[in-house]
Amino acid sequence: MTLATPAKVQRSQLAERLDIIVPPLFAGILAVLGSVVWLYSDIDSVTSSILTAESLQRQIVDTVILGFASSFLVIIIAIPLGIAVTRKGWPRLKTFLVDSLGLAQALPAYGLIVIFYSFFGAGINTVILALATFSLLPVLRNTVVGLEQVDQSVIEAGRGMGYTRIQVLLSIELPLAVPVIIAGIRTAIVINIGMAALAFIIGGGGLGETINAGLAMNRSPAILIGAVMVAILALAFDSLGAIAQRYLKPKGM
Amino acid sequence: MEFLSSWWLFASTRGSQIETALVEHTLYVTTVVGAATVFALLLAITTRSNQIAKELSLSISAVFLTIPSLALFTIFIPLVGLGFAPSFLALFLYSLLPILRNTITGLDGIDQSVLESAKGMGLTPRQVLFRVEIPLAWPVIVAGIRVSSMLVIGIAAIATLVAGGGLGDFIKLGLSRLPLPGSLEAIWTGTLLCVLLAFLIDLSLQLLRRATISKGIR
Amino acid sequence: MSETLIRLENVSKAYPGTESPAVGNLTLDVQEGEVLVLVGPSGCGKSTTLRLINRLIEPTGGRIYLKGEDVTEIDPSILRRKIGYVIQQVGLFPHRTIAENIATVPKLLGWDKVKTSARVDEMLELVSMDPAIYRDRYPKELSGGQAQRVGVARALAADPDVLLMDEPFGAIDPITRDRLQNEFLRLQQDLKKTIVFVTHDIDEAIKMGNRIAILREGSEIAQIDTPEAILSDPADEFVENFLGSGAILKGLTLKKVRDIELHDIPALQMPVMRDEALKALESSPEKTAVLLDKDHKPLRWISEASLNRTTQPIEKSGKPITIDLQPEDTLQDALGVMLQSSVGMAVVVDRGGKYLGCCSIESLASMIISGSGGS
Repeated sequence: MTLATPAKVQRSQLAERLDIIVPPLFAGILAVLGSVVWLYSDIDSVTSSILTAESLQRQIVDTVILGFASSFLVIIIAIPLGIAVTRKGWPRLKTFLVDSLGLAQALPAYGLIVIFYSFFGAGINTVILALATFSLLPVLRNTVVGLEQVDQSVIEAGRGMGYTRIQVLLSIELPLAVPVIIAGIRTAIVINIGMAALAFIIGGGGLGETINAGLAMNRSPAILIGAVMVAILALAFDSLGAIAQRYLKPKGM
Repeated sequence: MEFLSSWWLFASTRGSQIETALVEHTLYVTTVVGAATVFALLLAITTRSNQIAKELSLSISAVFLTIPSLALFTIFIPLVGLGFAPSFLALFLYSLLPILRNTITGLDGIDQSVLESAKGMGLTPRQVLFRVEIPLAWPVIVAGIRVSSMLVIGIAAIATLVAGGGLGDFIKLGLSRLPLPGSLEAIWTGTLLCVLLAFLIDLSLQLLRRATISKGIR
Repeated sequence: MSETLIRLENVSKAYPGTESPAVGNLTLDVQEGEVLVLVGPSGCGKSTTLRLINRLIEPTGGRIYLKGEDVTEIDPSILRRKIGYVIQQVGLFPHRTIAENIATVPKLLGWDKVKTSARVDEMLELVSMDPAIYRDRYPKELSGGQAQRVGVARALAADPDVLLMDEPFGAIDPITRDRLQNEFLRLQQDLKKTIVFVTHDIDEAIKMGNRIAILREGSEIAQIDTPEAILSDPADEFVENFLGSGAILKGLTLKKVRDIELHDIPALQMPVMRDEALKALESSPEKTAVLLDKDHKPLRWISEASLNRTTQPIEKSGKPITIDLQPEDTLQDALGVMLQSSVGMAVVVDRGGKYLGCCSIESLASMIISGSGGS
């Protein structure tokens, strides 16, 4: 799943199928890698103290909560905002948003998290806020582009038949923009779970802790297993998103 | 206001550190994007006739973008150690998708009649590729390079966590010394310089566009 | 004695998985200096056949000869640099200037810059485009007609002996197309290239071709001959249907006024007296005479009735002659003029405007019915 550009609405059948198959396949490969490392490498006491079941479980839960909480925040802001911005009367704001994403992607998430920490202190809420801020623009852009992609002639036909603007929005534009909006949600979740790995920096928990502990103690197995687990987590949710995209498409698209 | 003055103080006394970090960061961007462009071009050209290979390479590149950045940076450490190597690898894999996707789209989008007349006039397949196809796909490819460059700038800040240097060093420094004086300034320095770098690289890419894209297709 | 420049010998092209071949066992000779038009219904294989000549499509059987040399297996890129290729969508390189586009093959062949540049200008002038204006423009700045002119210029730049044209004027509006066709015919009169021209339009084929090959499915030749021969003597029902019911009228474009016998009606030269006129009219079967002025140029149609109806002087009676025909005009033009005149006839004059005779609808009709002209 891409951070950079919104998912194209029209994708070939092959691309769609690969979209659903390849991420889980990768996750599988990584899981195998992780198990191999777990079974065959030298697990000394330090490593096993890092890789305890409780801490890993807790971290997984933390990561998921962080990822979803921030995604939720982003979605309830970005989608209404995206709708608002694409209404008539805001064309310049719209162009500004679509163009500015370019530079905004260069903003380091790492820096953002630390800056938020400096203002708001440690804790989950700070992380959630930071992640939401970071992923807001991509999701907003996705929504805007998705709404724009709706065929103008369909909208015109709707207005011509007597739909009010709100009816056009609800019965035509939103349903047709659903694929791209779902893509945006998927993007948000994947970005946020990914970035949640950095939460440990400001004491926010998450699988990054294991990785960091491994780095600090110079224990490769810990590093690897931590990395593999957070990767699998992200890929798992990406696949769920792919499936949602495929099956929540309006019929006939 | 006060902050600005203390920041200025901070920045002006760390000239060489800032320079080093900037250079390292820029080095990441240029080497990674350069390598990714070459690789993407090769990959796009070799898979262009095979639909499955094409889509597969796109899907796999997309997977790299899905994997959390910290994971990608650290997963290669057992293989290549700390520092530049794992950072470069991770960033390389990250920057692939935008460039690859745009290269494929760019090459696919060329008017078939131009290719037919080129072939019909007697250009060899290689001549067609280098004199017609790549120049015509170049604008789209450059757009992909731009996206990748921005991505790399943002994510390269994490390199500091694996001892890879770059502007992330300032952020890490600041974090470790909070709430001591100078720490906030360090954090903002690291963060804002990324944005500045992004601006400069974007500008260079625009100049590159102007210099390398024929007037006939702008 | 013109030699065979291109020879397709038992050439075939079959695509795997299809039942019948796109081109089945075709033998075709193209004579030096002729325009051979390949024409047929959609899907008959005419474009495929054309592209077998420059091997954009490789044959699955048979040999191809260019100037006696077997080119079936030489490096296709080298072959194509000796053959000009013009396609419907033109395919100019959008990222290169017009000059650079035209210079493409000369550069591939290693011409030096001076020679190439001069040639570019020469080609632009050949297609009636001012080099000073168009050299440094880009394709996106050209209209459809201009783009195709550049396409032709580009194809001729390296002075190939052979030119392949695949529906070159198909994407252009009818008025411009007519103009381009005429210009191209004039060009061919000077250059005398060997041209294989593909079109689906039988009218274009008749207009442009020295010989026409009417193709059936599988690129099978139904008839290959001059346009006149095909029009007057279609080989079978397929050809007849393809020519369409307008074939006879199409044939009229190929014959000239000088091919018909001119009618002998009385011609009275001024000054002439009424009585003389009436006497001449009596002896004429049509009861119509032509009044000529002192320079022997036709003035009016005179009939017995018109003379008797008026007391006006002879120069004012009858109907004025406002249009005429020359021996070089086609019978199609003649028909148009005759239909406009009120007497079912048209006067034929020479270059100087002097009266030669009359052309009547009857003689035209008998020519159509008999199927051959007065030649």
